Amino acid sequence: MASHHPRPIFESRLDRRTLLRGLGGGAAALAAAPLLAACSGGPAPAAAGANATSLGSGLSDPVPRSAVQAMVDAFKAKSGATVKMNVMPRAQLVDNISSYLQSNPEDVITWYAGYKMRYYAAKGLLAPVDDVWEKIGGNFSEGITKASEGEDGHKYFVPNYNYPWGFYYRKSLWAERGYEVPATFDAFLSLCVQMKKDGLIPIAFADKDGWPAMGTFDYINMRTNGYQFHLDLCAHKESWDQQKVKDVFDNWKALLPYQDPAALGATWQEGARSMTGKKSGMYLIGAFIAQDVTDKEILADLDFFPFPAIAVEGTDAIEAPIDGFVLSKRAASNKTAKDMVAFFGTGAGQDAYAAKDSSNMQTAKDANTSSFSELNKKGAEAIAGAKFISQFFDRDALPAMANNVMIPALQGFIKDGTIDTRTIEAQATSLYAAE
Amino acid sequence: MTATATAAPARGAGRPHYGTHLFLIVMAVMWLIPLLWTLYAALRPKAVTDKYGYWSLHGPINLDNFTNAWTQGGMATYFGNTLTITVPSVLLTLLLASMMAFAVSRFTWKFNLTLLVLFTAGNMLPPQVLAAPLFEMFKHTPLPYSISSSGTLLDTYYAVIAVEVAFQMGFCTFVLSNYMKALPGGLTEAAQVDGASVWQQYSRIIMPLTRPALAALGTLEVVWLYNDYFWPLLFIHSGDRLPITTGITNLQGQFLLDYNMIAAGATITVIPTLVVYLALQRHFVAGLTLGASKG
Repeated sequence: MASHHPRPIFESRLDRRTLLRGLGGGAAALAAAPLLAACSGGPAPAAAGANATSLGSGLSDPVPRSAVQAMVDAFKAKSGATVKMNVMPRAQLVDNISSYLQSNPEDVITWYAGYKMRYYAAKGLLAPVDDVWEKIGGNFSEGITKASEGEDGHKYFVPNYNYPWGFYYRKSLWAERGYEVPATFDAFLSLCVQMKKDGLIPIAFADKDGWPAMGTFDYINMRTNGYQFHLDLCAHKESWDQQKVKDVFDNWKALLPYQDPAALGATWQEGARSMTGKKSGMYLIGAFIAQDVTDKEILADLDFFPFPAIAVEGTDAIEAPIDGFVLSKRAASNKTAKDMVAFFGTGAGQDAYAAKDSSNMQTAKDANTSSFSELNKKGAEAIAGAKFISQFFDRDALPAMANNVMIPALQGFIKDGTIDTRTIEAQATSLYAAE
Repeated sequence: MTATATAAPARGAGRPHYGTHLFLIVMAVMWLIPLLWTLYAALRPKAVTDKYGYWSLHGPINLDNFTNAWTQGGMATYFGNTLTITVPSVLLTLLLASMMAFAVSRFTWKFNLTLLVLFTAGNMLPPQVLAAPLFEMFKHTPLPYSISSSGTLLDTYYAVIAVEVAFQMGFCTFVLSNYMKALPGGLTEAAQVDGASVWQQYSRIIMPLTRPALAALGTLEVVWLYNDYFWPLLFIHSGDRLPITTGITNLQGQFLLDYNMIAAGATITVIPTLVVYLALQRHFVAGLTLGASKG
């Protein structure tokens, strides 16, 4: 009977191969979903009291990464807690901080003091850490304590390390030419004249990336108008379109002929080469310059002096950005997270970091400073002696103000020495009104 | 290169093309200089380039930057993540696009052209336009914690794969439908007469014949998805889930850029693309002309 029916050619013959192939394909498809789940899934956020917390770190390059790891390991050893680490590229953390804080942030996050912290605290995205500060408050100087507060007076930040900005120079070059550290702006200018006469570029300068020139602006503003004015200007409580701001740029104009004319095409690392290679006399930059100097001899030959006094407050203010930690909002009730930042705010915690990354200085008073290099010691003294600590323009001001307004304005100024304070004020008004 | 030049009969055998060769050599060298320079910088320790500058030929050279980039940059994890994103994305894209292409090329339906235009137009849409809406959408899509550590679609591979598939499907549909249109209509008609269902026509007639196009597209898609930077950057927040393109920025410090090590890391990321290209060169070249001529 069956032979009378023509066999449809498409009736599948169930041979060994097709069976295996079908099984394989099906199995692969079935396996794919849970496999992805295994990759993307995870435990629910730890309940309070589970003795577990997490740390989101934007310190991803090798040296700081190992240093943060050492800090966390020290905390784990001390408390027995489990800490989940999420190390992400710095740019990813910084550029996406708003969406990160709103989506699925870790409990503790590496962050920066200044407006950059106060802004997100005011938006309600960070948890206050006043109870932590009750324990660690004695470890910190007044300037650093103040820098850890939000607009509402609560503490939102636990400092880790900081690094001063100042003029770096090579001792051997200065000794050879008989230069002396200038205390006043006039002495500074005549030193520049002398250096130019000696065939040096007096001040190494680099602003291809836009931010390094802000250091010069911050210092001239603080020295010309005082710390409080600088802070208010950054927070746009003062107008940009006023004589005081114009004075800043007038003072800067006196310096422009002595700054490296090729600044707009150079990165800060190229600026550093110019100074370490003795082509330039000095360089206004942060202490992180030490990370770029691989030659031990040159490193030992570096020295540092603060930006000279101009009009007010002498050299009382120093630019020394503080890096540290904040708590995301949902970590407010996690005791382990608070214990961890409390530990990070002690000398023991910060020493664990500094042991791996020696280019920065611990902020806690009880930290071990015996391993400091000469340069670090000098920097630490300068910070300790300062009455006011600023955080660098892009941390003291609205991020959009720094990136979209200040960078092009300063680069334009470096190019031709002109600045339009009225346009800056107009842009600032719309930016700060929009937040 | 010389073999192809002399083998071109149209230009007359024996007549040397000095001008062409000179031009090609100059262009090839111009393309190679930055690559070779990157490689050379990657082989030199930072201390050496600090001392002599990047414009110099000074030893010593070693592989330290590569080992550092690999271990300290955690590149093994990132390669694994790239694989987790790329493989399902390519397979899903090809599967769905081939079905769509089959439907619009082998059947006549009122909205055939509309659908094809829709898919092709989607191809022209810049991804950045949809970045913010997609982010918000995914943020508000709840998922159980067992399959997503964030409780939403954010920070999961599903989100990245879904979006990659959606964006690549337009192009693949376009190419595959052109290819399928070129296959003789008699083939499926005969199958139909023999009693083959639509599914059987698709899976046993058209798909085997489309294999060259699928191979070429697969090669292209693997390279494109491997290179994608944008979507993972937007959706993935956990550092240990980033694919290689985004993860490589781990080597960049807050202030310090160790160019030598970054060059080494960049060189490592190029290797898989080169391997794919060299191994599947034939398909790659075929892929470039796919869809160029309408069948």
